[in-house]
Amino acid sequence: MTTVVRAQGLTKRYGSFTAVDAVDFTLEEGRIYGLLGRNGAGKTTIMQLLTGQLFPNGGELEVFGRTPAEHADVLRRLCFIAESQRYPEDFTPAHVFKSAPWFFENWDAAFAERLVADFRLPTKRRIKKLSRGQLSAVGVIVGLASRAPLTFFDEPYLGLDAVARHIFYDRLLEDYAEHPRTIVLSTHLIDEVANLLEHVILIDQGRILLDRDAEEVRGSATTIAGARAAVDAFTADRPVIGREGIGGLASVTIDGRLDQAERIRAAELGLELAPVSLQQLIVHLTGTDLAGTAEQEKAA
Amino acid sequence: MTTATATPLVRTESRARLNEIWRIVRLHTVNPSIFFGIPWLILGGAWAVTMVLALIVASASGAPADDILTGFRYSWAVLSPQWYLVAVGVQAIAFTFSFALGFGATRRDYWLGTSVMFVLVAVEMAAAIATLVQIEKITNGWWIGAGMFDALWYGQTTWLNDFYTSFALQMFVLFVGAGATAIYMRWRMKGMLSLTAALIVVVLGGLALLTATNSWIGLWTWLASIGITGVFTLVLGLAVVSAVGGYLVIRRATPR
Repeated sequence: MTTVVRAQGLTKRYGSFTAVDAVDFTLEEGRIYGLLGRNGAGKTTIMQLLTGQLFPNGGELEVFGRTPAEHADVLRRLCFIAESQRYPEDFTPAHVFKSAPWFFENWDAAFAERLVADFRLPTKRRIKKLSRGQLSAVGVIVGLASRAPLTFFDEPYLGLDAVARHIFYDRLLEDYAEHPRTIVLSTHLIDEVANLLEHVILIDQGRILLDRDAEEVRGSATTIAGARAAVDAFTADRPVIGREGIGGLASVTIDGRLDQAERIRAAELGLELAPVSLQQLIVHLTGTDLAGTAEQEKAA
Repeated sequence: MTTATATPLVRTESRARLNEIWRIVRLHTVNPSIFFGIPWLILGGAWAVTMVLALIVASASGAPADDILTGFRYSWAVLSPQWYLVAVGVQAIAFTFSFALGFGATRRDYWLGTSVMFVLVAVEMAAAIATLVQIEKITNGWWIGAGMFDALWYGQTTWLNDFYTSFALQMFVLFVGAGATAIYMRWRMKGMLSLTAALIVVVLGGLALLTATNSWIGLWTWLASIGITGVFTLVLGLAVVSAVGGYLVIRRATPR
């Protein structure tokens, strides 16, 4: 597999505030990445660094083998419509789609037209007058129809209704199957995209908490519920990432898989085992009261 | 999950540098009203007002058209689109820059393309205004003694001179707006305050120097000696300084 992005110690500071704190990661060609994290975690900053819109304060960054900023041969292979993208004064979606082919050599105008119809986007209305969902649709359509080798979707679900979210999901998977490329989806609405993702990078306070294959993440944590004493005994020497309890009952989430023997032992103790969804896991990892545990996870 | 069933996306076309710059010019003209529509709407509006004023003056005074025309010599109507074009220069950087970066343009190509656009607009406006000056003179003020284009320094010499001064002014207006906004895009409010402070220091310093060295008369004599054309060469020089400065500044600017 070809590495598309390689970041080492990548850092971005605004005065005394560190938005991205010495992160290391790589993105491989032809995968769908989820850049997940809470609001203000540093997701957009990372994407702006990757697309050369911001200049890093430290570390190394290579996108298609070079520093992205001011390198036309790198930038022409990227597509990034920021969630807060600014458009020229009085621009309409029609203006955006008309100029897109000059910048994206793989632009598929027919596909864009179909998406406009799917999303029921009013193309003659000024962008300033669009609703939040319609604005997201503009970004989603550019992202899909540009077929850029490295495409970023910044909070694509913001304001989209259920039907539109479904359309995005379907079209992305369809088109990705026909035209494989590297896709980075940034979102804090994790359940919505969980099934799309092949790889998860979880950011919190400018640091990477988790950088793993999505399949692996899905099975990587287990919730054990039952009588408090039994649960505590079972989880005593395991990395606990979440704990809830009512009266004599407890529900504890641990990081790591259980093997067959452990599952049998849990059953003998009368404990219930439940898989942890991506969203639940991320809530556990980024919850403020568990910051200490999160640090531990990062080291793991 | 989904597996790759088709060939990965590859570069299908090797783009030339000129094309990368030209697409920025096209980007500025996707919505032609910004650079071409509204300036002419403003100019047209000012012209209509001038015509009505001329009709009112003529009917009230009964003076011959030539005398009324002299009265319009001090009308600033011909400069009416300039204020709008400062705003266009500002918006070209404030909004279109962020958008072009989102579309994968480099800052360098963005500034070069925008400069080409500015030059084209300046040539277009200057040629049109210089020609309208001549038309106004030939028709003796649109047949009713209305003077709008043949005003201020215009219409004194040749078409070429009017073209040159208009071009210089147009370039100045666009590039000063764009250059100042480039400073904002790079250093935000801090940059704007520093720029303002620096300009005040330069102006005050210049005033102090001229007064201290008793050079005011010398300055006026010099300006008179270089004439209107010479003064506009200075204006064009400032435009070029803004253009070059803006290029250096925007290379490290970040979108909002």
